[in-house]
Amino acid sequence: MNVLLAVLWKDLLTEWRSRDRVVSMLLFSLLVVVVFHFALPDDAPETTRAVAPGLLWAAYVFAALLGMNRAFAIELENEALSGLALAPADRGWIFLGKALANWLLLLVVEAITAGAFALGFDLPLGPVALPLASVLALGSAGLAAMGTLFAAVAVRTSYREVMLPLLLVPVLVPVLLGAVRATAALLASGALPLGPLRLLAVTDAVFLIGSFVLFEFVLEE
Amino acid sequence: MNGAAIAARGLEKRFGPVAALRGVDLDVPAGGALALLGPNGAGKSTLLRLLAGLARPSAGSLRIGNGDTDRRRTRGRVGYIGHATFLYPALSARENLIFAARLHGVRDPGVRADALLAAQGLEAAADRPAGSFSRGMAQRLSIARGLVHDPDVLLLDEPFTGLDPAAAERLTQQLSRLRTGGRTLVLVTHELGRVARLADAAIVLAQGRVVHAAEGPELGPARLEAAYLAAVGEVA
Repeated sequence: MNVLLAVLWKDLLTEWRSRDRVVSMLLFSLLVVVVFHFALPDDAPETTRAVAPGLLWAAYVFAALLGMNRAFAIELENEALSGLALAPADRGWIFLGKALANWLLLLVVEAITAGAFALGFDLPLGPVALPLASVLALGSAGLAAMGTLFAAVAVRTSYREVMLPLLLVPVLVPVLLGAVRATAALLASGALPLGPLRLLAVTDAVFLIGSFVLFEFVLEE
Repeated sequence: MNGAAIAARGLEKRFGPVAALRGVDLDVPAGGALALLGPNGAGKSTLLRLLAGLARPSAGSLRIGNGDTDRRRTRGRVGYIGHATFLYPALSARENLIFAARLHGVRDPGVRADALLAAQGLEAAADRPAGSFSRGMAQRLSIARGLVHDPDVLLLDEPFTGLDPAAAERLTQQLSRLRTGGRTLVLVTHELGRVARLADAAIVLAQGRVVHAAEGPELGPARLEAAYLAAVGEVA
């Protein structure tokens, strides 16, 4: 637990000093919103509403890919990753610390992007803000768990920018399925369906436990 | 000297088809100091990373301390000072040490960080980002980081690289003090002239094997260099 808190503190402090990860993720996801805004027809609001949840989560995934790569790039400088691996604790705690930091930063970006999305596409997100926040929290937990694991794998390869999406996106299918369905139902009826939430919760649990165990081997030389 | 601090038997490490270490035996008594010598690519750094618990041996056995083979506990007993400093440039010197202390479960990380900064003469730079440090200052901070959990065994990988003569001499004196304090040292270096001052034994590695062992008067610079060149030349 000490290791988790130490890594969380270090990652958030480093990000607070530079702000480069959050700013680049935010700019990227906002650009995606702008591109979609121009790509979709103005005179078909029903079509926009139908595709909005998918577009929103596509923006989140792109932003997450950018942020996860950066999260481990800072560990390459001065071989800091080896310094982390020297901790006399289960390396799963290092994973949890980094995943938690990634999750928190992702939530900040997602909240601002959702606001921009609501403005850009005239979507009434205000009344469903609280249940939407719970969908974002659950969806982002799976995204942060697998993103952190695969970013640690990809960071030591020559093509890490390409490797991360190739590894991560296929595994994210159940997360995206649950998150997009829950968001779509929320926008359509204002109610949260249990099925997608259950899928998200189970996927998150499997991803978190699996990544905790596998991280020991990911940091092994 | 009370028992072996490090005991390795038949240690091997392979990276795919490449054998970095091929059956290395090693004994370092508690409080002893061993110098690892050899040409580039001989396997010295790989051996040190195995001892630090950063890598898993492909074959052979390794014990650190009282016969313990658990790599997690082993990592808590060794301080590893590598080629790189393991420092975060955006964090201050004090924050870097507090972070390392928390990773190792040290009580009162702030107090420990301040004590180590004072010992390294870095109090005035405690709140400066580590990224603004000169090579010599970063090396001193890196040593403080390696000592943060008061390890029994200290592993150093070419610690004199990039240091000016005065800084290298300060580091030599500091390592001598650590030895006097009872710590076990394993040191990778190309500076044969410093071996006699810092170590009581040396081994020469070439192509992943121990090709020469020396101790006592054999560690004098002239004799060591002649033996080193002969051993490395035979293998090449």
